[in-house]
Amino acid sequence: MPAKIVNFTLNGRLTEVMVKPLMTLQTVLRAQLGYTATKAGCRQGGCGSCTVLVNGQPMMSCLLPVEDIEDQEVMTLEGLAQDGELHPLQKAFFEKFAIQCGYCTPGMLLVSKALLDQTPHPSRDEIVAALTANYCRCTGYEPIIQAVLATAQRNNGHGK
Amino acid sequence: MTAKAYYQPQSLDEATGLLAEHGLSLLVMAGGTLAMPLINEGISLPEKVMGLRRAGLNYLGKSNGNLAIGATTTLTQMLAQQEIPLLQEAARNVGGWAIRNMGTVGGNLFAPPPAGDFAVALLALDAQVKLVSKSGARIIPLSDFYTGFMATALMPGELVAEILVPEPKGITAYLKYGRRHANTPAVVTVAVHIQFEGERVNDARLALNAVGSHPFRARKAEQAMTGSRLDPKTLESVASIAMEESDPFTDAVASEWYRRKMVGIFVRRALQQIAV
Repeated sequence: MPAKIVNFTLNGRLTEVMVKPLMTLQTVLRAQLGYTATKAGCRQGGCGSCTVLVNGQPMMSCLLPVEDIEDQEVMTLEGLAQDGELHPLQKAFFEKFAIQCGYCTPGMLLVSKALLDQTPHPSRDEIVAALTANYCRCTGYEPIIQAVLATAQRNNGHGK
Repeated sequence: MTAKAYYQPQSLDEATGLLAEHGLSLLVMAGGTLAMPLINEGISLPEKVMGLRRAGLNYLGKSNGNLAIGATTTLTQMLAQQEIPLLQEAARNVGGWAIRNMGTVGGNLFAPPPAGDFAVALLALDAQVKLVSKSGARIIPLSDFYTGFMATALMPGELVAEILVPEPKGITAYLKYGRRHANTPAVVTVAVHIQFEGERVNDARLALNAVGSHPFRARKAEQAMTGSRLDPKTLESVASIAMEESDPFTDAVASEWYRRKMVGIFVRRALQQIAV
C-alpha cells in the first residue's frame, strides 16, 4: 500500500499530509509539520507528554495512526494562544510557577483545557483525576493543580 | 515503522472479509494502546494492520436483557454509562483520561496481565463474547475465551465483535491494588458479584487479575462461600483458598510472593465491603 493522503483540521486550519501506513500523529506533527510542542517522551502511552486534543478529547498522539483522524479536529499547544494572547491557563501556569523544565507542560495544558471546557469549575479531586496520566518530574504537581484551580476561579478557563 | 498496509474497514463485514483474506498475517487493532507501544518500540513489526476505529463497533445497546457492548466502545464510554456501576468502577481503574479515550472494551480482553483490569469485572458479571467471522457468529462465555497467557479461543478469521453483559442480580465490589493510586499496573485486582438468599450466599463470582496468566474466576473460592454467611471465619478460608488458586508472577511491579499475599488481603477486603 503506497503513501496515503490524510486531511484533518489542525488548530483550526485544514491540513493535508501524505503519510506511510500506520504513521503516528505524533511523528507527523513533529517531523513533517514542525509542530514540536507535542513531545515524544516514552512513545508507550505512559507519560502524557504527547497528549493532543482530538475533537476536544485528550488522546496520546504517539499511539494514534494519523489515518484514524481523517476529517477530525486536532488541537496542539500551538493552537492554545489566540492572536498573540496567552490562554488564561497559560497565564496561570506562568504565575503559579507550574512550569520548570517545561517538557510535560504541553500535555498538562491541553488536558487542563479539555477539563475546563467540560467541567468549568472542577474540584481539586477532579483536576487530579484528569491529570493523573500526565507525568511531571519537576514541580511536584501542586503548582499545576493550583494553576488550574486559579483559572477556574477566575471563570475564564471556559471556551477560548 | 515497517507496516506496508493499514486497513480501515468501514463495517464488521468488511473487517471479517479482510481477516478471511489475510489470515493470521493481519494484526487486528482497536484503540492502539496495546499494539502501538510494541510497534513504536520495534518489538512488534507487523506488515499488515487492521484498525477497527471505523468498523461501526462503537455502541452500547440492549440485547435480550443484556447490555450489548460493541467491541470498540471506549473505556471513557463505559465510565459514562450508569447501567452497571461495577463497569464504571472498572473503567475508572484503567489508565488515565487519554488512554480511556482510546482503549476499548474488546481490546482489554487481549491485555496481558497485569493489564486487563476491565475484563476482570466482565468475568465477575458472567459476560459473554460474540465472535464473528466471515462464515458466521458464535457466542461463548468470557471465562471460556481465555485459554492461556496471551492465548484465546479465537479461531483464525474470527474477531471479537460484541460483549454481552447480563444485568447484575446481586451485590458487586471492585478493588484494585497498585503501587500508585491511579494509572498504575495492578498488584492484584478483585471483582466480585454475590447473590444472597437471606443472609447466606446463594451464588458467588470471584474474579482475579494480575495473579495468573489471564483474568480468571477463583472457582474453588466461589464454592467455598456458597451456602455460607460471609462471617469472618468464612472470609478467612475463602481468602486462603483464593491465594492457593492464584498463580502469580514476578515483574517490575511486585513479586510472586507479594502478589499472593495481597490476593488474601484484597479478596477479604472486597468481601467485607459486601458483607457489611
